[in-house]
Amino acid sequence: MASTACFVIVGRNDCPIYESEVGTAPKKDEATHLHQFILHAALDIVQDVVWTTNGMFLKVVDKYNELLVSVYVTAGHTRLMLLHDSRNEDGIRNFFQEVHELYIKLLLNPLYVPGSRITSPFFDTRVRALARKYL
Amino acid sequence: MEPEASIESARMIRVAVVAVGNIPSAQLRDYVALVLRHRVVSLECARLFYKEHQKSPFAQQSWDTGSLCFKFLVGGAPRSPWEDFQANRKCLGVIGLMHCPTTPDIGAAYDHFMAICRAYPSAQEKRCFALYPTDGQVELDEKKRQHLVMFPPDRQMLEYHLQTLMQDFAASLLMAFESWVLHAEPVGAILTTPLDSQASLNSEEVSKAKKRRLGRVQKTIGDYCLLAGSPVDANAHYSTAIDLARLTGDLLWHAGAIEGSVSALVVDRGGLKDPQLEEEVRYRYLEVIQLYHRKTALSFELEATLKLARFLCRKELAGQVVELLMGAVEGSKTLMDASDRLVLNVEVARIFGALGYERKAAFYARQVAQLYQQQDSCWAAMSALQVLTLTAKSYRIQSKAAFSARTNTLMELLHEKDEPSRDSRGQYSSLEVGADGQWSTLQMDILGDMLAAAVRAGDPLSAWSAAARLVRGHYPLITPSAQFGLATALVTAAERLPPGTRCSDPALPFVRLHSYPRLPPELEVVKRFPGKKEWWVGASSVGPFIYTPFTSKGNESENSAEVIWVVGEPVQVLVDLSNPCAFEVYVESICLSVESGEIEAFPVSVVLPPNTSQVLSLSGLPLSVGSLVVRGCIVQCFGVVTEHLFEEAGELVSGVAISDPFRSVGGPRVSQSVAAVVEVMPPLPLLVAEVVGGEGAVVLYEGEIREMHIRLANAGVVPVLEATMTLTGKHKEHVLSLGHDILTAALPLFPGASVVVPVKLKAGQPTTEVEVVGSKGAGVNNVKPAKDPACPMLVIYYAGPPMETRDMKTKAVISPSLPPGRRLALPLQLHVLRGLYLQQARLLSMEVPAQISRYLPDPGACKSEATSPTSTLVKIDPYRGSWGLLLLELELWNATDVLFEITVTVNKGKESVDEELADDGMVNDSLYPSTRIDQNHSARVLIPLERFKLPGLEKAFLARSLAKKYGLTKHDSKARESSERQAKSELNATIEELSSRISVKWHSGRNSAGELPIKDAIREALQASAIEILLPDPLTFGFRLARDCRPSYGDKVKLSEDAVDEQPKSEDSEHVTVTNQGNNDSIVAQELTPIEMLVRNNTREAVTMSLSVTCRDVTGASCLGSSGAKATVLWAGALNGVDVEVPALGEVVHGFALCFLVPGQYTLLGAAVINDPDESLGPNSNLQYPESEPEPLYYSGPPYTVNVTGIS
Repeated sequence: MASTACFVIVGRNDCPIYESEVGTAPKKDEATHLHQFILHAALDIVQDVVWTTNGMFLKVVDKYNELLVSVYVTAGHTRLMLLHDSRNEDGIRNFFQEVHELYIKLLLNPLYVPGSRITSPFFDTRVRALARKYL
Repeated sequence: MEPEASIESARMIRVAVVAVGNIPSAQLRDYVALVLRHRVVSLECARLFYKEHQKSPFAQQSWDTGSLCFKFLVGGAPRSPWEDFQANRKCLGVIGLMHCPTTPDIGAAYDHFMAICRAYPSAQEKRCFALYPTDGQVELDEKKRQHLVMFPPDRQMLEYHLQTLMQDFAASLLMAFESWVLHAEPVGAILTTPLDSQASLNSEEVSKAKKRRLGRVQKTIGDYCLLAGSPVDANAHYSTAIDLARLTGDLLWHAGAIEGSVSALVVDRGGLKDPQLEEEVRYRYLEVIQLYHRKTALSFELEATLKLARFLCRKELAGQVVELLMGAVEGSKTLMDASDRLVLNVEVARIFGALGYERKAAFYARQVAQLYQQQDSCWAAMSALQVLTLTAKSYRIQSKAAFSARTNTLMELLHEKDEPSRDSRGQYSSLEVGADGQWSTLQMDILGDMLAAAVRAGDPLSAWSAAARLVRGHYPLITPSAQFGLATALVTAAERLPPGTRCSDPALPFVRLHSYPRLPPELEVVKRFPGKKEWWVGASSVGPFIYTPFTSKGNESENSAEVIWVVGEPVQVLVDLSNPCAFEVYVESICLSVESGEIEAFPVSVVLPPNTSQVLSLSGLPLSVGSLVVRGCIVQCFGVVTEHLFEEAGELVSGVAISDPFRSVGGPRVSQSVAAVVEVMPPLPLLVAEVVGGEGAVVLYEGEIREMHIRLANAGVVPVLEATMTLTGKHKEHVLSLGHDILTAALPLFPGASVVVPVKLKAGQPTTEVEVVGSKGAGVNNVKPAKDPACPMLVIYYAGPPMETRDMKTKAVISPSLPPGRRLALPLQLHVLRGLYLQQARLLSMEVPAQISRYLPDPGACKSEATSPTSTLVKIDPYRGSWGLLLLELELWNATDVLFEITVTVNKGKESVDEELADDGMVNDSLYPSTRIDQNHSARVLIPLERFKLPGLEKAFLARSLAKKYGLTKHDSKARESSERQAKSELNATIEELSSRISVKWHSGRNSAGELPIKDAIREALQASAIEILLPDPLTFGFRLARDCRPSYGDKVKLSEDAVDEQPKSEDSEHVTVTNQGNNDSIVAQELTPIEMLVRNNTREAVTMSLSVTCRDVTGASCLGSSGAKATVLWAGALNGVDVEVPALGEVVHGFALCFLVPGQYTLLGAAVINDPDESLGPNSNLQYPESEPEPLYYSGPPYTVNVTGIS
């Protein structure tokens, strides 16, 4: 079954610093925009939900039709947002944790300015690999 | 589905407001606004018009606090199929608005109104308001038009009248409701909904339907009670209805009744919310939703959901609300009606907006826009555009016009920045950063939608604006072909716009402030520091150091930040233009845009090829005094005029995807304080300088003296009140004098006036061709290095009169302030060519023996002879000899292509120069005939120098010091050194004086004349043999014929204190001119001739010595036979070993007689041997007479010639 998934990392100033379509469903241009619109809109909810829990993984915070938005917030208020249509919470949790680790490794790179767009192809490859593994 | 549905909407009385007759839209809007004020009419007011015809069914009506609410449907609304189900869906009233001045036929208009009313069969009350009727229309009013109400034509009273009428209208509606309720129960109204099956009813169902009908009537009565403002009554009826509906299984009406009872509950609370109420409402509404769901009345279900969500819409309950809304959205997928879906999305967006979820609201607004765009109509496209414009704020792509509410002008921002409050700045920057570079994928999507919607809606300006924002903000993410598409969109939109349309959103190109170029030096403004004579020199630096690197650095930066313009004088600003896109940008016109000032900007047009940037110089003319800010450019590009504010560095970099459009400019941005405030000064005078008759550079030969005239003209509009000339730069020594007086006398220099200032030049060293790096002047007003730093700069600082600065607003004189001055720098382009080369200068000594005569030569006579014009040539006094005559030989080489004529003059002492100049100025100049040096030839010029002995006093001093040095304190080495130094310095002074007295002047051609700078060469030449020339001998010898007085030929020594002190005096006359006057005193051979030898002691010590006289013939052999040869001269008296003691500065005369046996020329030489060298001049002679006899104690005088004639 083809799954749809869109993964976006949103920096603390609400700018996307990484975005990728990690789903297996065939890509449609307008759909990717819709996915990002949904994720953008979900930021409002995340902003409220994030203060209600101690965990970093906020689980599904928002949905639009059958698309669900799962969010993981790092300590630095960077939001890892995943739009998905499968209800595989454990896989998503693992995915987020691994990506978080990757992100921390990226932050340790002295040449990476926090909050700027992630352009590392290595990061991209790894994220896609993780998506294949867990989602 | 109803838009804006809420729980309270059940109490809204729906009234259609329609325009009747011909009414201008502005008037209609005005009247509608008047009517819409009366949304709520309190029962208390309505009671005035209320007449109780029968007992009111609204028993619990609270006349004191209750009110009727209206929902005005402007333009009317179509009839809803559900109006039986909910009474508030019925149009219960109609209000017509008629504007009489434009509606001449009231009758026809009224008929039109009645026709409209027919479309609203449920309308209980109708009113047609005729506003501003004419007198004729009032007269023609017929009583039969019962619904027509004419208003008195009085604007002030209109509102009051309208209020009264609305209260009357409310009261009428109330009465209508009463009668309906009273009639409904017995008559049995037929209440149906579209959901009711139309199938024929069987008997069982008929009885059920009867019960149902009762329940429905009860529910409808409840609705009317609610509309009539009596929620308590309504609740009672609803309770009955709920029971009945539950009994009959009338699910829809059951739900409707519950909804109504909840509404009544909420209305009864008067809008106050408490958790308990909220909980109850939520609980009961969930039941309602459940019932609707069971009845598959989807739109009612969603509407109920939205009502509940709207009711609960609080930040604290956001979770519940979001859940409800998400459910509603999910449910809406199965909605069949497109408009229902639209309404749902609108409502969801609204509720999210009310909840503070801007992004959610924007998302659903975008959904609404997409739904609109699915409808293929112009109106839908316009609506879509409007909705998208609303979302723009959330996606941070607002049009700049929307920003205008936040009118932080740049000026204010600047002031804000001055303040140290970090918060405001941080806020500002975050805002600015946020304005761009947000989620650019979404921004592009929205802007693309806006562009498409605007094109479909036929709104070219919006289309242009959207395309401009898209291309400007997101060009790096747009493919070149899409960029071309956008460019085409811009052009096509502009074609449909009237020319000169303005848009608040700039498109291309990007504009950045490059720099404020310095004004040309002649226009440069110099700040005046009041209270100083040299007002252009800045305040001296604080601190103990003359130069500190920090202060000078600080001044520098301050300088660069300060830009001063002058009213009425054109200025330039350099801007960077950049076109990072793939299409060519043709900027039709671009000119400066300023804030808080006036400037006449001169537009230019420019073509920017793809992916290029260029620096453009924009000029303007400041028109008003004050401070202004250049904030950007007014650009006409793609047919629309926009204002491009200068880009801020942060604005561009912030967007992750957006790269710097100026990267092709190369290098980082010029560090400059952004949009510095430019001070505009009142008009200043403007001096223009030109060299009279000059073609620019002046070519001078070395040493040439020339006068140059500089014409200064005031080209400004303000008189020059003060002006000061100074010289700066290199080679200032070329300029002898400046005509300060002439300039000062010409002040004030009015506009148009001019003055000619002479500048006297004297060429110094030849200028080298090598460029010398100009040195910067210190102080605030740095003098700019001239083009040719080797030239001296004539700098004129000038200023106009003090100006009264006027306050911009009040036009009142604040204070007379000092306007800045200006600097006019005129490089005096002097090229000094080397004229004559001085090959070498050396001293030639000449020994010409003096002739002996009866008298010592009279210096006065010599002088008079010397000054006589006939005897200007060097002549040697045969009676004095020229032992001391020296010739200074100058070898000069003329390397130029002109002739030079050389004249040598030797000035006398200062006094004598003055004297002679007073007598006859030519004396000095033409003492010797001039020497001509052709081109490429060299010549030697001889300058006779007699012994330039020190003057008497100095000599005495020198002698004393010498005596002291060597006689008295010779063991004291310290004192000796110091006196030596003293002597040395005195010597140097003398040499200096001497060398300055000799001048070699030259003429070339008609008008160039000058003086050779050979002072140094002479000094050098003199230095070598200075002492020889300058110092007097310790002893001087002289011979004379003693004809008159016959001394006894013995060693009789006569002290002659009053002897003629010939030597010093003769030294005074430099031009030794000796004539052949000795002929009459000739000595005859073979005759005993008495001769006297004078020995003078020039020292301050008495010297004991032994004198001797030698006589030599022409061959140089001694004639006295001392060497054993045969004597040719006989003598009487002592010629050897005459011991005498000469007192200090005294003189002794030693007489003797000679008999020359053979006629001819003889030479007499006096000599002295000092007996006691230790006490006298021994060391002195060692030191200073190295060339004299090897025996240090031996002195000899100059040779004297004796001409012996034969007897014949």
